[in-house]
Amino acid sequence: MAGALTGGDPAAASEARPVPAVVRTALYAAGVLARRILLLAVLLAAVFAAVELLPGDAANATSERGESAADLAARRHLLGLDRPVAERFGDWMTGLPTGDLGTSARGEPVADLLAHPFPNTLLLGGLALLVTLVASVALGCWAAARPGGSADRAVSASATGSLALPEFVVAVALVLVFALWTDWLPAVTLTDADGSPASWRMLVLPVLALAVPQIGWNTRIVRAALADEAKAPHVETAVLDGLPRHRILTHHLLPGALPTIAAGLATSTGMLLGGAVVVETIFNYPGIGSVLAGAVADRDSPVIAGVVAVTGTVITGVLLLADLVRAWASGGRT
Amino acid sequence: MNLNRRQVLWAGGGMGAAVLLAACGGGDETSDKSPAKANEKPRPGGTLRVGALGRASAITRDPHGTQANESDYLIISLVYDTLTVPGTKPNTVPRLAARWQASDDLKTWRFTLAKGAKFHDGTPVTAADVVWSLKRLRATPSGASRLPGIKAENIRAEGADTVVLVSDYANAELPQLTRLTTFVLKQGTKDSDLGKAPGTGPFKLDWFRSGNARLVRNDEWYGGEVYLDAVEVKIFESPQAMANALLAGQIDVASNVGAVAARTAEKRGDIQIVRRPNDMAMPIVMRTADGPFADAKVREALRLAVDREAMVKQVLSGYGTVANDILGTGDPAYAKDIPQRKRDLARAKQLLKEAGFDTSKTYRLLTTEDIAGLAESATLFASQVREAGVKVEVVKQESATFWDKTWLKGDLYTTYWGTNDSVVFFASKTMVSDSGQNEAGWKDPAFDASYKKAMATKDAAARAEVLQELQQIEFDASGYLLWGMADGIDLAGAAVRDLPTLPGYGRVQLEQAWLAR
Repeated sequence: MAGALTGGDPAAASEARPVPAVVRTALYAAGVLARRILLLAVLLAAVFAAVELLPGDAANATSERGESAADLAARRHLLGLDRPVAERFGDWMTGLPTGDLGTSARGEPVADLLAHPFPNTLLLGGLALLVTLVASVALGCWAAARPGGSADRAVSASATGSLALPEFVVAVALVLVFALWTDWLPAVTLTDADGSPASWRMLVLPVLALAVPQIGWNTRIVRAALADEAKAPHVETAVLDGLPRHRILTHHLLPGALPTIAAGLATSTGMLLGGAVVVETIFNYPGIGSVLAGAVADRDSPVIAGVVAVTGTVITGVLLLADLVRAWASGGRT
Repeated sequence: MNLNRRQVLWAGGGMGAAVLLAACGGGDETSDKSPAKANEKPRPGGTLRVGALGRASAITRDPHGTQANESDYLIISLVYDTLTVPGTKPNTVPRLAARWQASDDLKTWRFTLAKGAKFHDGTPVTAADVVWSLKRLRATPSGASRLPGIKAENIRAEGADTVVLVSDYANAELPQLTRLTTFVLKQGTKDSDLGKAPGTGPFKLDWFRSGNARLVRNDEWYGGEVYLDAVEVKIFESPQAMANALLAGQIDVASNVGAVAARTAEKRGDIQIVRRPNDMAMPIVMRTADGPFADAKVREALRLAVDREAMVKQVLSGYGTVANDILGTGDPAYAKDIPQRKRDLARAKQLLKEAGFDTSKTYRLLTTEDIAGLAESATLFASQVREAGVKVEVVKQESATFWDKTWLKGDLYTTYWGTNDSVVFFASKTMVSDSGQNEAGWKDPAFDASYKKAMATKDAAARAEVLQELQQIEFDASGYLLWGMADGIDLAGAAVRDLPTLPGYGRVQLEQAWLAR
């Protein structure tokens, strides 16, 4: 762990003295993790700096029309806005390891503000990722099964089309067709007494709106990875051996394509969480999108940074997972 | 009374299914459809699901805090009572205060609490509770502007049911100040208990979660019969999502949803469009203290150059009325007999020439997109005054920049006010020489004198006469160009009856509503 933190190259270390694959993978993971954490810290600093650059500040943005200059100054002091931004960032960062995300400009603990919305966003993003995985692998395999065939051409064309669609276009179209015209599904998400969506049917449209562009993107990745893999000698051998097509797919093509697919999905995680901000607004989904949009308007650095910290942690986790899959898959190969 | 600019409302705008639907529809007739029959008897029972705008990051449970969210304000005003509430005529009617009485010098006001008023936990409301609540309100950052002229030490109880407020100056309209924000809590309520603190209102809180709430009827409310079993408030971030929810039948009322949604709903026979006239003012402010618009002739020229009908038709989609440069159009004391100013380009050009106005220069009109139609009003205004020879360039500013740099300081900018039912409110807040929010930097001794006289006149008829004079001065010389008033627009399902039609924050008074199903 210590070696990894100082930036030691795990690959070099493994050359010096042969170590078991598990340890090697763990060291590699620790190194990647340390780099990602550092990156997240830099990102958070950038968030504070960016909010500082915006005109107006939190005291001003959350004031009422009648507040006097003296009241504003008092609130500015109360919120610590009269201190240098570096100092405020430092304070906020030191609370982070203990799970303290600071206090919003309106006096609410940031952790409380995110306590309900964040799991909801994770549910939405997680389901969309799952749908994306299943759909893009299925479509990619279907297209790759007969290269150049009509299915292949149709899948490729529609994948290109859908990845170019912004989430809000998909969302508006879905609401029109499935809610307002046919009345099959609810138009918006309403919440229960416990703060979660009142019915699973309310999740269908937001999940689809988020997943459709990502399915397009990932289908192309899966299709391309399978095509690359199909040129590999062992696959050609398997084909010449006369193995059934589905067996070649599951035992020869997919395992080789796995690192690429994992990387593609990991990239989608960031896109899904980013797209959630838009999609949540259209479907009134009770997630962090609404919190984030309001916090930017309020110049509320601790809230914005809190949202970035929790989503950044999730994205870091997923990227790490993808790296592990890649390391594991390619490690098995060499 | 003093409303946060963000509190006002942010209806309309943006992208959504509602816009697409509206675009598909065509036609521009506006109608006030209501399936309600004239002699229907209110029916008890049912749950009313109301959508209200709000942002998750701005949720508050404090009745005396800054309620930036309509959803929060709605919930708070159903659970708690204010001393007085908005009415049509007069525009201030009793609530927790059953009646009030002023001393002869109009400085000391005695409010008598309603008989039988009690908190949801059964304890009676005392004057001490009210005094404690008003002092708590006064101690908030904007307390001085919410209870202007009333120091905390001048709020006291007299016996169990009388609250005495002593104003620093004569104030004939003091009860009006006690509308909207004077929510009464139990004496000594801790900040940490605000979420569960019992109110005195027509509904009791069942649950609250992330801006959504369920409220159940308070059977022992002193204010009269409440028909609904429950009200469910759903928070919406965007008016489009709220309109979609209503069209899909997921909610019964989309509160303050705006003109875009109303246009969509016109095509639907099963949706009621509830219009609340005089809801929102979006005047153009011309700086009077200095700069290019300091000459009253220039200001009059601009007032004559604007095409008011076109503004109302295009900016408000027809959901509004033409106005006459006097703020407070919903006030019973509004001067209806001052003739309506009409477009007169020839006269405008002549006035500009007389004033020596430099028509070779281009003037910047600063605006924001805080509310739907505001930036559009600036653009249309700019193209209209060009016909009088005044070149105006519209500059859209981001909200925070605008309120920081332009508001109260700019030469020419748009502003907006979501409460407009009182001439005196605007006079005291924005036009008297020493007012804290003198948007146009206007100082007029005759206006000040008129205002002071009106505030110190006890007889209502005599006061109305002085107010007339005050409005004439405002019409002639103030820094405001008020071209029209926007309607507040709620959408409701076919079964909803007796929704409030009052402007501004009168819309939260849902205790009379009932469901015909």
